[in-house]
Amino acid sequence: MEAILSFCFAVLLAPLFPVVIQKVKAGIAGKQGPPWLINYYTVVKLLRKGSVYSTSTSFVFKLGPVVSLAASFLLLLFFPWAGRAPLCSFHGDVIMLFYIMGLGRFFTILAALDTASPFEGMGAAREAFFSVLAEATIFCILILFFRLTGSLSFAEFFVDTHFLNLMDTHGALLLLAVVGLYIVMLTENSRVPVDDPATHLELTMIHEVMILDHSGPDLALIEIGAWFKLLFYAAFLSCIVNPFQVDNIFLNGFLFYVVVVFVYITIGVVESCMARYKLEVVPKFILKASILVLFGIILTIGGL
Amino acid sequence: METLFVALALILAGGIAGLCLARQFTFMKLVTIATTSVGCGIGLVFTLPRLLSGVAVPAVSYRWLHIFTLSFRVDSISLFFLLPIFLISPLALLYSFHYLGNREKKIRAGANYFFFAVLVAAMALVVMAADMITFLLAWEIMSLSSFFLVIYDYQKKATRQAGYLYFIFAQGGALFLFAACALIYSYSASFTFTGFVAIPDLVKLSAFLLVLCGCGSKAGVLPLHIWLPYAHPAAPSHVSAVMSGVMIKMGIYGIVRFYLALAPTSAVFGQITIVLGALSGILGVVYALGQHDIKRLLAYHSVENIGIILLGLGVGMLGVATGNKTMAAFGFAGGLLHVFNHSLFKSLLFMGAGALIQQTGTAMIDRLGGLLKKMPLTGSCFLVGSISISGMPPFNGFISEFLIYYGAFYGLSLPGISFIFSALVIISLAIIGGLAAACFSKVMGIVFLGEPRDASLSAASEAGGSMILTQFVLAGACLIIGVWPDYLVRAAFQASRAIPLIAEFEVAQFMPLMVNISRTAALFLFLLIMVTGFRKLLYAGKDCPQTGTWGCGFTQPTVRMQYTGTSYADSILDFFQPFVWIRKKYAGIGKIFPGSISYDTHAEDVFANGLSLIACSITSLLGRLHWIQHGNIQLYIAYIVMTIIVLLAFF
Repeated sequence: MEAILSFCFAVLLAPLFPVVIQKVKAGIAGKQGPPWLINYYTVVKLLRKGSVYSTSTSFVFKLGPVVSLAASFLLLLFFPWAGRAPLCSFHGDVIMLFYIMGLGRFFTILAALDTASPFEGMGAAREAFFSVLAEATIFCILILFFRLTGSLSFAEFFVDTHFLNLMDTHGALLLLAVVGLYIVMLTENSRVPVDDPATHLELTMIHEVMILDHSGPDLALIEIGAWFKLLFYAAFLSCIVNPFQVDNIFLNGFLFYVVVVFVYITIGVVESCMARYKLEVVPKFILKASILVLFGIILTIGGL
Repeated sequence: METLFVALALILAGGIAGLCLARQFTFMKLVTIATTSVGCGIGLVFTLPRLLSGVAVPAVSYRWLHIFTLSFRVDSISLFFLLPIFLISPLALLYSFHYLGNREKKIRAGANYFFFAVLVAAMALVVMAADMITFLLAWEIMSLSSFFLVIYDYQKKATRQAGYLYFIFAQGGALFLFAACALIYSYSASFTFTGFVAIPDLVKLSAFLLVLCGCGSKAGVLPLHIWLPYAHPAAPSHVSAVMSGVMIKMGIYGIVRFYLALAPTSAVFGQITIVLGALSGILGVVYALGQHDIKRLLAYHSVENIGIILLGLGVGMLGVATGNKTMAAFGFAGGLLHVFNHSLFKSLLFMGAGALIQQTGTAMIDRLGGLLKKMPLTGSCFLVGSISISGMPPFNGFISEFLIYYGAFYGLSLPGISFIFSALVIISLAIIGGLAAACFSKVMGIVFLGEPRDASLSAASEAGGSMILTQFVLAGACLIIGVWPDYLVRAAFQASRAIPLIAEFEVAQFMPLMVNISRTAALFLFLLIMVTGFRKLLYAGKDCPQTGTWGCGFTQPTVRMQYTGTSYADSILDFFQPFVWIRKKYAGIGKIFPGSISYDTHAEDVFANGLSLIACSITSLLGRLHWIQHGNIQLYIAYIVMTIIVLLAFF
């Protein structure tokens, strides 16, 4: 029951958090920013509309949003919200979940190529390339976590244990993982400095250009999927950096979401202070993350 | 055991019928396919229950030429390798019913069926062989029959060259195997695959390295993979399907068989296998990304998948050497299961490629496009194959990769630096998975999606019935194994029980894991259906107009503006620069009103180039000795006499 409630809570709040980023960016720029419920309004607006389809597209184009949403939704089902046992979990689920995320991305790429648009092809090629590096980094992080805990599922990582926490014995090692995970989060969710979610019509972008031809409910499904994914990564990070451990369930949950909001704020700050990198620099940026985590793995050789 | 020989006899009878009845084209095809399929069916019925129940099959042996004994034995590993042979071969034959449709080449088609049957029988004999003589005999028959299958289009120069290259690699590899067997025989004084235990460790290692070279050249392990990208495009697609799906796995079988017989205790064996696997896996898929010809691309993917299989086997070997049972069992089971899975999706992909080449007349990826609308069934099956080979759930490729991951993760707890090899396996698998997804999104996206890049493609239509049917069977198998992996995983574990350490491993305790995977896959499919239903609901009653793709305000779009496969792969290839030579020919735009410009790019395989450099320097060196060959018969006789005198003087 508790698991279902915390899951529903996460799903319902997912569209709210990205507004934090927009508010932070607006605040730093001296503007007011959009209303807090903007994303809910957007979804309702999009769901009411119809769609315009390109004559070039086939059924794969319509499958893209569906698969990517189903993949990110599944991910949320397996995540221990605020350290409470998730709805589903098994030893080894992390491997399967990251591969299902890969399937979602595969279909997003195919949907982009289906439009026969050169811009979307360009975005698709970049997405395919950068995600290879991001995926390798994720598995480096999983290796480090397995070395530390011998666990292979989100539940084992975080439910009723604080071993994978910055405040615990291996905090120094985990700091490397946190930086790596943060970079992966920026990459996988197409944030600055890897991608720019604010520009819609320039050759500099990756994810936004891939969904250029989606409209109406299809676009809404993609957006919801993207919010879920961002929330997952932010929550994953929060579980590691969360310094508060309280016995009260509600207070604990509240403090967890405070940390999640903090992660979103940092994304907003990053986006306000830097521009996106040149495309040649992006692979090096992601590789930096995997090198850091690999260094962490090497540090475990001496015994724990 | 006799049942198996009856099955093989039926398969051969089908092949001979193909040769004899070649004049009645359709009748010949029907008879051959039916007879051979019945043979393979009998083989399957024999194999499957014995594999699952673990019942031992009695060994048999026959005298041959009064000197040799041909002995046959079927253990669990052999049974497992018999599965793809008996499953893929009849499907490929069924596919050929519409694929070999040209009546004018009926004699050639008959010969093709004959050699096909010989190949199937020879592959079965390779895995049934209980001693080295039988093994090598069957191995040679297998190499020769497949050589004749490759040169089906022998009038084309490229095909003859490809056949020649394959022949060299097959025979060169066999030489290494002969050397390995001779080395082992000189210590064990027995030809059977048992009793290698007394051999010193260093000799074991050198024998294993020789086997790796010999079997590796058949399997396509990295520096020896060069024949694959030439032979597969040259061969007819049903032959490529069997060669890539089944025959190259005989190389893997050889490695496993000799590993079992040598029963080494050192960790070096596993470490070498892992490094070779990582190399083949990553560079195989990188080279695949750079290909313009779809069948060459698939051939390089075979190199990649052989790499994944070797990673699994390497994890298993490392587990055996360190006494880590979980690692050993999952590594071997994952590697073996990937052998089976790869045979399914790779033959599916080759069949899809064959269908589209037959319909469009070209294999060049950058000339195709939009074929999903012309060939919806082939395209959908190809999509399934693409997802499976990229190792993504809920399809079968994921299951075997998951087992390997699982084994490798358990290897992380090894002490000292041995865990580095486990980490290498995990990171390589992650990179391979990502790159394979990139590569197959390229193939699927450029070939099947978007707009046709060439006006001639409008004539393409769906391929013949038998070709569609086989692709559907294989695609269905990929999905079923992905969602209900139980039986096959059990079979793979059962097969790896031939290794003593794994025999004591309790498989049952890990079966809940499979149930969980299958539940998660089912849950994902359920979510997919729910979201699809939700989407249908949202679109109910709304009208969705169709228009051209949004060209960002550009009013003169043409199909030639689409992203090509070359540009799609460009940045990834650039990243792997020292391992890929990218040759570009581009003059640039010079004048204010540019004339016609050409841009030409090739991603070249460093190993192929390196090897051809070595081969060229050796031939030019040997060319200096050309004066010995003068064509004068008296002098040749003098050579012989001199040799005899020298030999007599010394021995």
